[in-house]
Amino acid sequence: MGIVILLLMLAGVGLMLTRKLPTAFALVLLGVAIAAVVGAPLTGENSILETVLQEGSIAQAATMIAVLIGSWMGKLMAETGIASTLVRKIVEFGGDRPTVVALGVLVVSALIGTVTGSAPAAMMAGIIGIPAMVAVGVPKTTAAGTILMGIAAGMPFELPIWQFFSTTLDLPVETVRGFMLMLFPFAVVFAVLFVLVETRRKGVEHAWSLAAPAGDRSRKRAKQLGDAPWYALLAPLVPLVLALGFELPIIPSMLAGVLYALVTTTRPRDMNKRLLRTLYGAFDIAAPPIALFVAIGILLSAVTLPGAVEALNPLVTAISPGHPVVFVVVFALLTPLCLYRGPLNVFGLGAGIAGVLISAGIYPAVAVLGLTASYNQVFGVADPTSTQTVWAAQYSGVSPQQVMVRTLPYVWCVALGGLIVTAATQL
Amino acid sequence: MSGSAVATLDRLGRARRERLRAECAELAELSDVEFGVRLLADTPTHENRAPELLRRWASVATEFGAGLVGEGRDRAPRVVERAGGVEQLLLAKYVSRPVPTVELFTDTLALGEELVDLLGWRESYADGALRAAALAHEEAHLLLHGDVALRRALRERLGHTALRLGRFRITAHVAGADELVAHGYAAASRGLGRSPLLLTAALASAVRALAQD
Ligand SMILES: [Zn+2]
Repeated sequence: MGIVILLLMLAGVGLMLTRKLPTAFALVLLGVAIAAVVGAPLTGENSILETVLQEGSIAQAATMIAVLIGSWMGKLMAETGIASTLVRKIVEFGGDRPTVVALGVLVVSALIGTVTGSAPAAMMAGIIGIPAMVAVGVPKTTAAGTILMGIAAGMPFELPIWQFFSTTLDLPVETVRGFMLMLFPFAVVFAVLFVLVETRRKGVEHAWSLAAPAGDRSRKRAKQLGDAPWYALLAPLVPLVLALGFELPIIPSMLAGVLYALVTTTRPRDMNKRLLRTLYGAFDIAAPPIALFVAIGILLSAVTLPGAVEALNPLVTAISPGHPVVFVVVFALLTPLCLYRGPLNVFGLGAGIAGVLISAGIYPAVAVLGLTASYNQVFGVADPTSTQTVWAAQYSGVSPQQVMVRTLPYVWCVALGGLIVTAATQL
Repeated sequence: MSGSAVATLDRLGRARRERLRAECAELAELSDVEFGVRLLADTPTHENRAPELLRRWASVATEFGAGLVGEGRDRAPRVVERAGGVEQLLLAKYVSRPVPTVELFTDTLALGEELVDLLGWRESYADGALRAAALAHEEAHLLLHGDVALRRALRERLGHTALRLGRFRITAHVAGADELVAHGYAAASRGLGRSPLLLTAALASAVRALAQD
């Protein structure tokens, strides 16, 4: 029976890889199919309709709201010029030293990323940041990679991700925060290394081009924006300080960020209109991740049905390394399986596998957190099928594969660091 | 447009060629500094700047470039000739690694020469001047790239402030200004009658015309 489930998962990966089905739909189908083959009843306790579809679809509700508020704040930061002012200041201060500009954009991407999540952050930091880096001589692939590595450096502090891991792995937020604090140094060190090494290795590049600079059209819209005041630029720090420093819950921390960005930039009589407009706009941005979180909830409920756990337990036990060193080596080697919507992608089938590992009692939940959070650092940057990577590459005028090749060595090291920390502290 | 096809204006029909001539005549009406303003306006971080400010920066940077003529030209960079420039919309490129190299895109340069003939712009751009200008342009990048004091002098001249605390002041980098310095240097050192940016804009029109044809 376990084999049948694995074959189903393989088929699911195939459907996603070949783009026959969008990831979210494939995960829902997979969830229902797994529930059916392990003999879950249609209704009642541990059933397809009630447990898997009804309860599963809202299991990630807190994550969905966190993602939505993050997108809301992102919209607000874009509309009020907070994001563009941050990038402009960096170019003004560091402009004739490309490495300084790239490091500055790295920090801005990280900051924005902690609030809005990866894809919106890539766009917000990148729309001005990428052409600004190119204008001061940073080569295109390095420019795209800088945005993505920056987002990854902020990822350990991305509040919606804390919520996601807390819900998915059934761990308190404090535990998630604790591990992320240990993962953060790796993410930062390798992001900074990426900029230092790559700008040194590739040098600067100036082109006498016949084309208007990239992203000309999207910047036309930014034309109406003025400069945001300096204290408004602190907005992305507000949720972080509250959630990390004062240990407040995630959703109120993020709401405080929305309010801060609003009152520092907007006249009182425009507040209602702007708040509502950016909130509605945020639904558009948040739609893809929210759809995915519904699907992940459904898949997770299916793989954690008693029948599924029973079927998968012997299989997973047999192949999961127990010794800490073997754990690190095996999972570090398996890292590429989180790319191209592969089976270890945490925002896909990987969430299901994480659920199996925990419910089968193979690793403590914190170890699974370490594993998945480490993979997330790779997937968020180097996966040539993930939205932020595709966008950053295309906007820079290079291919997502070029960005993957350039960034993978660095994020692989981050994952390795995370796995070592996990093995050393949890196994 | 495929890379192997030769980009030549002979391919254009009569009517399209006339339209290209008209477009370029219109471009020639604009002043040289206006092209500088346009380049700055298209450079990120200048979205909100007043046109007058951009105009001042454009003339300051161009003059700064012209003033560099005769400055140490001892470190001549490596020059590599390539094809495929029309396809990538590139005329020349400067890369600092592994060794400072100027890449010249010969197909774009050839198209430029042909265009100058078609438009009767020889008075402004002598035979072979475009190639020389491209080399000079990238030479200016090399000059700026290797000289901190020169870059500081440029910032001082532009006079844009990033931060001011009482008497203490940090001058700001003006994105795109180095590009205008390079064009100013190229025009002055190679004795061009008009800004290289006018020919660049005309070339962009020509490439568009060829793509539509
Ligand atoms: Zn240039």
